[in-house]
Amino acid sequence: MTQPLLRLEGVTKVYRMGQVEVPALRGVDLTVDPGAFLAIMGPSGSGKSTLLHIAGLLDRPTSGRVLWAGDDVTSLGAARLAELRGRHIGFVFQTFNLIPTLSALENVELPLVFQGARPRERRQRAAELLAVVGLADRQRHRPGQLSGGERQRVAIARALVSDPQLILADEPTGNLDSAAGREILEMLRGLNERGKTLVLVTHDAEAAGVARNILRMRDGRIEGEA
Amino acid sequence: MTRDLFVLAVRNVLHRRLRSWLTVIGILIGTAAVVALISIGQGLQRSITQQVEQIMGFNTLLITPRGPGLQARVQLDLAALREVPGVKAAVAVRTETAFVQGPTRSGFLPLTGYDPAMEEFVAELHLKLAAGEGFSQRGQVVLGARAAELIGAKVGDVVTIEDRPFRVVGILAAQEEGRGDTAYGGIAVNDSLFVFYEDLKELFPGPDLAQYGFVKVAPGAEVSAVKAEVERVLAQTGTTEAEVIGFEELTQRIKTVLRGVQAFLAGIAGISILVGGIGVMNTMYTAVLERTREIGVMKAVGAKNSHILLLFLFESGLMGLVGGALGLLVGLGVAQTAAVVVGRLFQVERGFSAAVSVGLVIGALLFSFGVGAISGLLPARRAALLPPVEALRYE
Ligand SMILES: Nc1ncnc2c1ncn2[C@@H]1O[C@H](COP(=O)(O)OP(=O)(O)OP(=O)(O)O)[C@@H](O)[C@H]1O
Ligand SMILES: [Mg+2]
Repeated sequence: MTQPLLRLEGVTKVYRMGQVEVPALRGVDLTVDPGAFLAIMGPSGSGKSTLLHIAGLLDRPTSGRVLWAGDDVTSLGAARLAELRGRHIGFVFQTFNLIPTLSALENVELPLVFQGARPRERRQRAAELLAVVGLADRQRHRPGQLSGGERQRVAIARALVSDPQLILADEPTGNLDSAAGREILEMLRGLNERGKTLVLVTHDAEAAGVARNILRMRDGRIEGEA
Repeated sequence: MTRDLFVLAVRNVLHRRLRSWLTVIGILIGTAAVVALISIGQGLQRSITQQVEQIMGFNTLLITPRGPGLQARVQLDLAALREVPGVKAAVAVRTETAFVQGPTRSGFLPLTGYDPAMEEFVAELHLKLAAGEGFSQRGQVVLGARAAELIGAKVGDVVTIEDRPFRVVGILAAQEEGRGDTAYGGIAVNDSLFVFYEDLKELFPGPDLAQYGFVKVAPGAEVSAVKAEVERVLAQTGTTEAEVIGFEELTQRIKTVLRGVQAFLAGIAGISILVGGIGVMNTMYTAVLERTREIGVMKAVGAKNSHILLLFLFESGLMGLVGGALGLLVGLGVAQTAAVVVGRLFQVERGFSAAVSVGLVIGALLFSFGVGAISGLLPARRAALLPPVEALRYE
C-alpha cells in the first residue's frame, strides 16, 4: 500500500468569537492518496473551506492531527509550514486572489520568489506554465486586464509553478460563467490525468462530477462518499 | 530574494503614488529643517573659528579676569611671565578713558598702553600704520583711524592727553568693521589712541590693572605646557583672579555654546521628523489593512513572516529614505541661501557659507531611512503576524 500524501485524524476546529464558540469541524478523518482527485461537497457553512485550509497548512486544527507524507506537521513552526506550502501545495481560490499590482507572469512567478529561485529560471518556468494554461500572449497583463476565466487560469498556473504534489481548489468555478467554469474543470481533470493529486471543494454537483471520488460534508462532519 | 522583495516594495510605493508622496513630504520637511540648521550651525562654527584664528593665532594665550562683568581687571607681573620658558612675548592690554584735546575737537576717547612687545601680536593682527613712522620714544601717540578723524589730528600734530602734550607719530589703517572692534580682546582699535605703557601708567597713577594679557608661545614650545607654567607663575605672583585660555579652549568654548544652541534648534526641528515618522506609520497601517488579502495570498504561496516583514519595512524605509534624500537637498539649498543672505546683511567678512560635511549627508540619509523603517516596524509586524487564513478571509 502506498503512503497517503495527506492524512487528517480526528480534526476539529472551533472558532471562538468572544463568549460564543462556533464549531466548524467536529472530528474529520480524511486520507488523500497520491494521484487522487477528491471533490468535497456540502451546503454553505458546512466547513468545507475550513477543512481545505487545514489540509493546506494555512490553519491549525483545534484538536486532531495533520500528517503530511506520514509526518505529523500539526505543531510545526510557521516558517516550516510556509515552506511546505510553497513547495508542495498549490492553491486555487474562488476569488482568484491574484496580486493586482503584478503582471500575470509575475503572479505566476511569486511562489518561486519566496523559494529564492533565480530570476531567469523562475521567469522561464512561469512563462511555460502560462503557455500551458493558454495565456502565453497575456504575460504582461495585470489581473484587472484579464477576464475572470483568464484570471483563474493564471491562478492555476501559479498553483502549478513549483510543481507541487497537491492542488487544493476552493470553489474555483464559483465566480465564472458555465463555459469558463467548464474550461477550468477540464484543466483540473487534465492535471489529475497527468498524475497530480487534487482536492476540489464545490457545492456544484456538475463540477464535482470531474472528480474520481466525491465526499459529502454536513455540519462539520464528513457524511460519506456519494 | 531580498532584492526581489526590495523591487516589489519599490513598485508598491510607486503604485500608491499620491499617498507615498504625501508621506515623503512629511519626512522631507523635517529632514530639510534639521539639515539646514545643522549646516548653518556648522558653517557658523567654522567661520567663527577662522576669525578667532585670525585674531589670536594658535600659539597665543589669553589671560582674562575671572570675575564677572566687563569691568573686571587683572594685575599682571609681565616680567615674571616673560621669564617662563617657551614664552616669546607677554603684554598687558590696558585701556583707560582719557580726555583728549586735538587740533579741531576734544573729547573722551579710549587710551591704550603700548608695549613694544605688542609688535609680536600686531603683526598677527594685521594692524598697519597708514601714516607716520610709529613709536620711537615716550611722549608719542599713535591714533586709530577714527580717533584721528574725530579730533582732526595728523602726523606731526601735538595733542593733549589728560593735560600732557603728545606728538602724533602714526595713524593706523582703518580696521574693517567687525574685526577692528574685536582685536585685542574687545578694544576698539579704530577709536583708540595708543601711548607707551609707561606713559599710561603716569597718566593714570594707582594700581596697574589691565583688561587682558596676551602671551605668545615661542615656536616649537608645547602650548599646553607653557599654559600650565603661565598659570603657575600667575598664581605665584599673586594674580589669582585670572584665567588663561588657549586658542583651542576659546574655539572649544564657542563651539560648545554653538553646539548647544544648534542641538536645541535641531531638536525642535527633529520633532517635525517625528511627525513625518507618524505619517509613515499611518500610511503603512493603511497599506497593511488594504493589502490584508494580498498578505494572505503571499503566505499561501510560501511567504514566511520574515518575508512579509521585510517587504513592508522596505516600503516604509524607502519612503523615509526618499524623504531624507530630498530633504537633504532642500535643507542644504535653504542653508546656502540663508548663509548668503546673512553674509550680506551682517557684512560678515568673506561671508560665511553653510557647511556640507560627509557626516551630515550620510547621517541624514541613515537617519531618515531609520525613521522610516522604525515607523514601519509596528505596521510591518502586524502584517507579518497576520494568520494566513484570516488574511485570506478578510473582506
Ligand atoms: N474566522 C471565523 N470566525 C468565526 N466563525 C467562522 C470563521 N470562519 C468560518 N467560520 C464559521 O465556520 C463555519 C464553516 O465555515 P466555512 O467557511 O468552512 O464553510 P463552507 O463550507 O466553506 O461554506 P461556503 O460553501 O459558504 O463557502 C461557518 O459556520 C462559519 O460561520
Ligand atoms: Mg467556503
